[in-house]
Amino acid sequence: MIDVNKLCKDYIIKRKGAGLSGALKGLVSRNTDTIHAVKDLSFHIDEGEIVGFIGPNGAGKSTTIKMMSGILTPTSGSVLIDGEDITKHRKEVVRNIGVVFGQRTQLNWDLRLGETFELLKHIYRIPQNDFDNTLNVMDDILGIKELIDKPVRQMSLGQRVKGDLVASMLHSPKVLFLDEPTIGLDVSAKYSLRKFIKEINEVRKTTIVLTTHDLGDIRELCERLIIINHGTMIEDGNLKEITDRIAPYKTLVAEFYDEKAPTHDRCELISREGNVARYRFNKSDITAADIISDLSSIKPLKDVSIEEAGIDDIIKIAYGR
Amino acid sequence: MRKAFDTLGHYLDVTGQEIKMAFMTMIEYPSNIAGWFISNPLQFIMGFAIIKFVVESFGEINGWNYGQLAFLYGLSVISHALSMIFFVQGWFMGWYVIEGDFDRYLTRPLGVMYQFFFTNINIFGLTDLVPGIMVFIYGCMKSGIQVSVMFVFQVIIMLIGATLIRGGIYILLGSTSFHTRSAVDFGQYTQEIMDKTTMYPLSMYPESLQFILTYLIPIGWVSYYPVSSLLGIENGLSGGMTTALITLAVGLLLMCLAGAYFRSGLKKYESAGN
Amino acid sequence: MKKYLYILKTQIIKSMTYEFNVYGNIIMQTIIMITSAYFWRALYTGRSVVDGVDVGSMQTYIIISSALSVLLITNVERRIGSSVEKGSVATDMMKPISLFGMFLAEDIGNIIALIFQNMIPILIIGTLMIKPPLMADVRDLPLFIISVIESFLINWLIAALFGMMAFTAINNNALIQVKKHLIRLLSGSIIPIWFFPDSISGVLTALPFVYIYQLPLSIYIGRGERADILMQMGIQFIWLIVLSALFFFAESRITRKVMVQGG
Repeated sequence: MIDVNKLCKDYIIKRKGAGLSGALKGLVSRNTDTIHAVKDLSFHIDEGEIVGFIGPNGAGKSTTIKMMSGILTPTSGSVLIDGEDITKHRKEVVRNIGVVFGQRTQLNWDLRLGETFELLKHIYRIPQNDFDNTLNVMDDILGIKELIDKPVRQMSLGQRVKGDLVASMLHSPKVLFLDEPTIGLDVSAKYSLRKFIKEINEVRKTTIVLTTHDLGDIRELCERLIIINHGTMIEDGNLKEITDRIAPYKTLVAEFYDEKAPTHDRCELISREGNVARYRFNKSDITAADIISDLSSIKPLKDVSIEEAGIDDIIKIAYGR
Repeated sequence: MRKAFDTLGHYLDVTGQEIKMAFMTMIEYPSNIAGWFISNPLQFIMGFAIIKFVVESFGEINGWNYGQLAFLYGLSVISHALSMIFFVQGWFMGWYVIEGDFDRYLTRPLGVMYQFFFTNINIFGLTDLVPGIMVFIYGCMKSGIQVSVMFVFQVIIMLIGATLIRGGIYILLGSTSFHTRSAVDFGQYTQEIMDKTTMYPLSMYPESLQFILTYLIPIGWVSYYPVSSLLGIENGLSGGMTTALITLAVGLLLMCLAGAYFRSGLKKYESAGN
Repeated sequence: MKKYLYILKTQIIKSMTYEFNVYGNIIMQTIIMITSAYFWRALYTGRSVVDGVDVGSMQTYIIISSALSVLLITNVERRIGSSVEKGSVATDMMKPISLFGMFLAEDIGNIIALIFQNMIPILIIGTLMIKPPLMADVRDLPLFIISVIESFLINWLIAALFGMMAFTAINNNALIQVKKHLIRLLSGSIIPIWFFPDSISGVLTALPFVYIYQLPLSIYIGRGERADILMQMGIQFIWLIVLSALFFFAESRITRKVMVQGG
C-alpha cells in the first residue's frame, strides 16, 4: 500500500549570531547550514497494517509523515501510495488518504461541525448515501452526531479531535495518517480514539500510520513499530521482535528477610532497596527458575516476581543509540 | 473536453459551498460587519474628497478634469474591491506559510492556490465595491459617457483583467514568503503604491516610470490605459475592444507567472513545527 | 525601568532578525516616496507657489514624511486585540510588569531598529534620488524635535485607545483599519490639509490627526509664522494631555473589568 524509497529531506537554515551584534551581522551575511532531517529512509507498508512511528523529538517522524501525506516535497527519493507517486500526482493520490494532525485542526473554527463535513462532501464528491452511511458508522463508534451541531470553537480538545478524525474518514480513504493524535487528551478520550482506530482498521481495512509519544498508543495499537532517530531507521518490526533484539533481558525482583541480598555470577544485581533486590538476566543465558533456586539455596526468599522489558526501556535503549 | 467541464463543475460546486460558509461566518460575528461597513466606505469617500480638493487647488491634473478623474478613481476602486474579495489573502500569505496552514490544502484533492483563496474568500470586500460603483457612475455622468451594451461589455472585460493584475501582484509578493520564511505584510505599502498609480493618470509620471509601470509591473493596465481608451484620451491606444482585450491578456499572463512562482514556492514549503 | 529596557532591547533584536523584511520595506517605501515626489512635481507644473509652498519644499515634505512614518509604526493595538481574543489578557495583567508599559517598550524597541534599517536608508535614497531634504531654518530644530516626540506619543495613545476597543467589540481589526485610514488621510501624511477647503481644514485643525504628521513637517519646511506654529504646538500639547487622560482612565476601567471578570 505504501512504498517509501530512499527518502531524504534537507532543510537549509540560516546561521544567526547571538545578541544585537549577531542580529546586525545577520542582515548582511549569508551563512547557512544544511540539516539532514531524514536520511535515506526506505520501507514498505501493507494494506491493513497499523504502523507506529516512534522516535525522540526532532528525530524526523513528523517530516517523514508529512512527506508521506504530500505536504512536504522530498529532497530526493519517493513515496508511492497504492503504486502512485504522491509528489507527481498529488491531487489523485490524496483522494486515498486521510490526515489528522493532533495539534492542528482542519475544521472551520467559527461554524458548526456539520458545515465542515458538508464542505468535505463537496470537495471529495461523496455521494449522499455513502456520506450518510459513513456518518452512521462513525456515530456508532464515536457518537459524533451529538456534536454535529456544535460550533467547533466551543468544543473541548477531545471533541475536536473526534471531529477531525471523522472529517478525515468521510471520503473512506485507504490510508490514514495520524500525527500525535492523542496528544493532550484525557484518559477517556484516548480510550475512545484508540477504539476508533482499531475498529476502522478492522472493519474498513484502512491502513494506519501514526506517530506518537504515548506508550499506551504503542502498546494497544501498533502491530508494527518503526523507530527512527536522527533521520534514519533504527528498528522495524513488531514489539516482541524489537524487544528480543534490543532488550533481550528480564528483571527478577526478589525480596529477602534482610538487607543483605546475595550476588549471582550469571546475572547482574542492578539495585538493592531495603529487603528488595533486582537482578537483570539475559533470557538466552539463564532461566528465572534457575536463578530462584540458586538464590534460595544461599538465603531464604520471601517473594519473587519477574518483569519483562517495557516499551519505555526499549525506547530508552533505542533512542540512546 | 467532457472531463474539463466536469472538473469546472466540481470547482464551481465547491465554490458555492465556500461562499455559503463565508456568509455564515460573517453572520456569526455581527460586530465585525458594522466595523467593515464603516471602515471601507469611509476610506474611499475620504480618498475621493481629497482628489476633489487637489483639483480645486491645482486645477486639472495633467489635462484630466474632475469628471475624468472620478471615472478613473471609480474603475480603480471597483477592481480594488474585486481583488479584495478574491485575492486579499495574498497579502497575508506569510502567516499561512509560517503557521503551516498549507498542510490542509495540500492534503485535499483540489488546486492548492484555488483552496487558499476560496476557503478564505473575503465577503467584506463587498463594502469596497459599493462606493466604487457609486463613484464610477458619478464619473460616467460627469464625463458624459453614452452607456451602451458595448461599453458595459468592455468595462466588464477590463475589470476582469485589472482584478487579475492586482491579484497576480499580491500572489507574487505573497509567494516570496515560501522562500524567505518570514511573515511579511506588504499590504499597506502595496495599496499605497496602487493608489498613487491607479487613481491618478500615469502620464503625470516621468517616462522611465511609465515604462516600468506599463511593461515590467503592468499596473498601468489596471485603470490608466483602460480608462484612457474608454474616454478617448490621447496616448496612442485605439479605442474599442482592443484595449479591453490587451488588459485581459496582461491579467492572464501575470496570473500565469504568479501561479508558476507560487508553485515553485510550494515545493519549498516547510510546514510548521519541528 | 530595567525590565522595560530589557524588553526594548529584545525587541530591537527581534526586529532585526528578518533581513528580507528590511530590504522589502526599503524598496516599497522608496517606490512610494519617489512616486509621491513625481506626483507633486507634476501637479506643480507651471505653478511656482501654491498655498504658500513651492515644489522644492513639497518634495522635502514628502521625504521627511516617509522618514517620519517609520517612527509612527505601532503594534500595541494588535497586541491588545490578540491578547483579548486568545483570552490571555487576565494572566498577562497578572505579570509583575505593566501590560501597556511592555507594549510601549516593544514599540520603541521596534522603532529604534527601524531607524537604522529604514529611516536612514530612506533619507539617503531621498537625498540621492530627489533632493537633499534640508531644514528651512535650523534654529527651529528644537521645536521640530519636541513636536516629533509629541506626535509619536499622540499616535501611540490613539493606537492604544483603538486597541482597547477590543474589550467592547470582539474583534478590533475593522476598528484598526478605521484608525489607519483616518491617520493616513487626515493627518497630512500624503496630502497636506492646507490644500483642503478652509471649512474642512478648520475642522481638521481641531482634531488630533494633523498634529501627528503635518505639524512637525510644517516646522521642518518652514511653513507658517512662528506665532502660528507655537499656537499649533500648544494645541498639540493639549491633545497629548487629553489623550493621556483618556488612556489612563480607560486603562483603569479595563484593569478593573478584567480583574472582576477574569477576562
